[in-house]
Amino acid sequence: MTTVERTAPRLAGAAALLVLAGLCAISIFVGVGDVSPREAFSDPEALYLIAASRLPRTLAAILTGAGLAIAGLVMQTLARNRFVEPATAGTGQSAALGILIVTLLLPSASIATKTLVASLTALAGTSLFLAIAHRLPPTQPFLVPLFGLVYGGVVGAAVTFVAWHTDLLQFIEIWTHGEFSGVLRGRYELLWVSAAVLAVTWVFADRLTLMSLGRDVSVGLGLDYARMMQIGLAIISVVTALTVVIVGLVPFVGLVVPNMVSRLIGDNMRMLIPWVAGSGAALVLACDIIGRLLHFPYEIPVGTVLGVVGAASFLWLLLRRPSHA
Amino acid sequence: MRDRSTIVLAALGLIALACMCAFMTLGLRGNLWFSLELRSLRLLALVVVAVSIAVSTVVFQTVTANRILTPSIMGLDALYIFSQSLLVFTIGGFGFASLDPRIKFAGEAVVMVALAALLFLPLLKARVDLILMLLAGVTVGVLFRSLSSLLARLIDPNDFVVLQGASYANFSKIHGELLVAAGVLMLIGIAIVWRMRHTLDVLALGRDAATGLGLEWPRVVAATIMLVAALVAVSTALVGPVAFFGLLVVALGERLIDTRRHALLLPAAALVAIIVLVGGQTILQHVLGGASTLGVVIEFVGGLVFLAMLLHGARR
Amino acid sequence: MLFSRIFAVLIALALPTAAIAETVQIQTAQGLATVPARPHRVAVFDMAALDTLHLLGVKPAGVPDRVFLPELKPAAAGGEVVGTLFEPNLEALSALDPDLIILGGRSSPKAKFTSRIAPTIDMTIDGQDLVRDAEARLDAYGRLFGREQAADEARQKFRAAVAAARDAAKGKGRALILMTNGPKISAFGVGSRFGWIHSTLGIEPAVTAMAAAIHGEAVSFEFVRKADPDWLIVVDRAVAIGTGDSQAHATLDNELVRDTKAWKRGQVIYLPAADLYIAGGGIQAMTRVLAAVTRGFSAAQ
Repeated sequence: MTTVERTAPRLAGAAALLVLAGLCAISIFVGVGDVSPREAFSDPEALYLIAASRLPRTLAAILTGAGLAIAGLVMQTLARNRFVEPATAGTGQSAALGILIVTLLLPSASIATKTLVASLTALAGTSLFLAIAHRLPPTQPFLVPLFGLVYGGVVGAAVTFVAWHTDLLQFIEIWTHGEFSGVLRGRYELLWVSAAVLAVTWVFADRLTLMSLGRDVSVGLGLDYARMMQIGLAIISVVTALTVVIVGLVPFVGLVVPNMVSRLIGDNMRMLIPWVAGSGAALVLACDIIGRLLHFPYEIPVGTVLGVVGAASFLWLLLRRPSHA
Repeated sequence: MRDRSTIVLAALGLIALACMCAFMTLGLRGNLWFSLELRSLRLLALVVVAVSIAVSTVVFQTVTANRILTPSIMGLDALYIFSQSLLVFTIGGFGFASLDPRIKFAGEAVVMVALAALLFLPLLKARVDLILMLLAGVTVGVLFRSLSSLLARLIDPNDFVVLQGASYANFSKIHGELLVAAGVLMLIGIAIVWRMRHTLDVLALGRDAATGLGLEWPRVVAATIMLVAALVAVSTALVGPVAFFGLLVVALGERLIDTRRHALLLPAAALVAIIVLVGGQTILQHVLGGASTLGVVIEFVGGLVFLAMLLHGARR
Repeated sequence: MLFSRIFAVLIALALPTAAIAETVQIQTAQGLATVPARPHRVAVFDMAALDTLHLLGVKPAGVPDRVFLPELKPAAAGGEVVGTLFEPNLEALSALDPDLIILGGRSSPKAKFTSRIAPTIDMTIDGQDLVRDAEARLDAYGRLFGREQAADEARQKFRAAVAAARDAAKGKGRALILMTNGPKISAFGVGSRFGWIHSTLGIEPAVTAMAAAIHGEAVSFEFVRKADPDWLIVVDRAVAIGTGDSQAHATLDNELVRDTKAWKRGQVIYLPAADLYIAGGGIQAMTRVLAAVTRGFSAAQ
């Protein structure tokens, strides 16, 4: 390793942090209420708006983005496959199923109860997916994402079917379109659990790297594979359920961010985790800012913007750098 | 081999016929002629949709040399819906909304075919590897679904987009005036596909082998992609996006007939599609009494069957 | 004169009764329509129509599978189920063999098909001029079923309810119409489906530059705070479509909304959501909505 090679990532890291900080600043000053950079810290009115609405929204976007990107990364590690993510492989759909069950059985349940049940159903749904995914032959890598896609579709269809017959279809729609327009001080704090989950992921980073080598190799290297599997599952389920309950389903982050980042900086988890978390946060925050501005003073859901922005830039990236596999 | 597939095809044909008879005759009431006419319209629509989806999926899988890509997964349904909203919103001011639905459909189909060619030809020419292709496809789907809803949000959302943007196909819809236009387009499409069936067999060998055998790869691929796009326009215009239906029926058909030869696979997949749609609609209408959820039920049952098959095939 | 009367009697004797069934011209959403008068067997797919017919004492022979509002249960009782709110079951309809089919709103695109079974009228009610449309439909039903007197009485009461709401709201300040959908909100302006609240009742909108989106615009709570309306008029979508308890209050009860004049003075009016969202334009449903408006504005300090 020469010094050039060692300083390049640091420079890149500094640049990335600057981008994220810039986005936060923009996010603080973009909204319907009047907050201008000049009086932000002198005008009590502006300070109040920042504290009550802008900062929570910014933080919610960051936590959601970082959490979902990491959930995608962990899921890809556990499934030993690049092309699965919670939103498409049944985790998000299972969480929605949980919300539906709570709504049918306990209509007046609190957000925390909803999250808990959604986490449990997401856990069950994801465990089932991974259990089956591991029985698929590793020689056919595209079988796993295909399986995940169909599996997610099946769970989603079950949700739709039940919702249709209990007339909760439009109710479920609330949780299928992720948006931050309702985020305020006191209405998003549960998302901080995502930050805790991020810390847990960081602690287990090396073990996750080992896991990606496959069961036999990692057990040979002294890893408690089954325990790691449980931890990974918990990470994915909790983050996804939290996001679905508080924000709604935000597609795409878990699939795109880990893939793009690992293409750029390789597969070492220790390196990947901060980069993936940061990029996910930046992506979701940027899309939320666009959603606030595009149809000002009205809102466009972040999921919609993310669909367009994320998909378009990702396609461009894919086709600009044809890979020679 | 040849005998077995003939028997399978014949059996599928008989089952399909039985489903159609059941669809036409079960629980008839009210004015007999009116009901029969209504049912034949619906049956025709179901058959047109089934055949369009099956054929477009088979051809698409051949062109992309990949068994798990289907036009829906690659976002072509979403592309059609996007073409619809694009036309409504760009020339909506000039009375596009009040145009004859057939002319609208023709316009949408043309836009759709052009967009599909623009999008997928570079993808195919770039020799993108399979996984990337899948990824790109899912991405295209998300992109166009999001674009459609973005358009709907920016410009006064009218009900048709809201309805069209539904995530499941509705097989109870009847489009009397579109049916003929869609049917004609489908017939032209499958006639061309049928004439190309041997070319498609060669195409299935892969790009290099096909080129070696004297096939003008780029031209043929461009033509087939446009064909596929037109067939997707037919099915999406009639019922909406269908998700895994194509994947399911082609996989089932292939499993039953045990070959990728187009002369056999095309009819097998089409018959399976007819059986699933017509049979499913009949069962839902008369047994479970909730015909508008067929799209969801197909997704659920079809998905389960497909997953079981995947596992079974993987374990063998 | 005498001759012609005898002639008419002769004709009446010579022909089966159906052939000289009188027709009546009524106003529908698609303009004037000529339909058989006093139809016996009617299939109704529109909630507002069901509501107004119930008021006039007309019993429908065919109804959709769900009516969403508990108040409409008796109106639909005894009718045969012939489809859903969106989708008439054409074969069931054909078996019912009605004299007239009434569609509206969500089912109106199906008129092409139902009119092959029986004369069909589209009685859709437009949200922007809901009160006028509701009265026009009431008149039409009165003439159609020969219940003019009942319709007249109902119209007078209805007009009184509209006037009461107008008077109660007069000079009481600007209002913002919000719909809550779980934790999210949309705002509705003059051109929206609830626009009549501003245009007919003369309640000044707090935000004038609202685009004419029928289904409202998604907004943030900052938007509500900046608009700072004197009144908040709230429709809870979850309640309207029958998905449990009202959470509208919990959704709106946050520090940004609490800063508005409306919240500080307790000037928040929760409208009966299903009456407005599902049966909007039905005379009884509208009377309940107007009563809520009147009560709300009369309570102003």
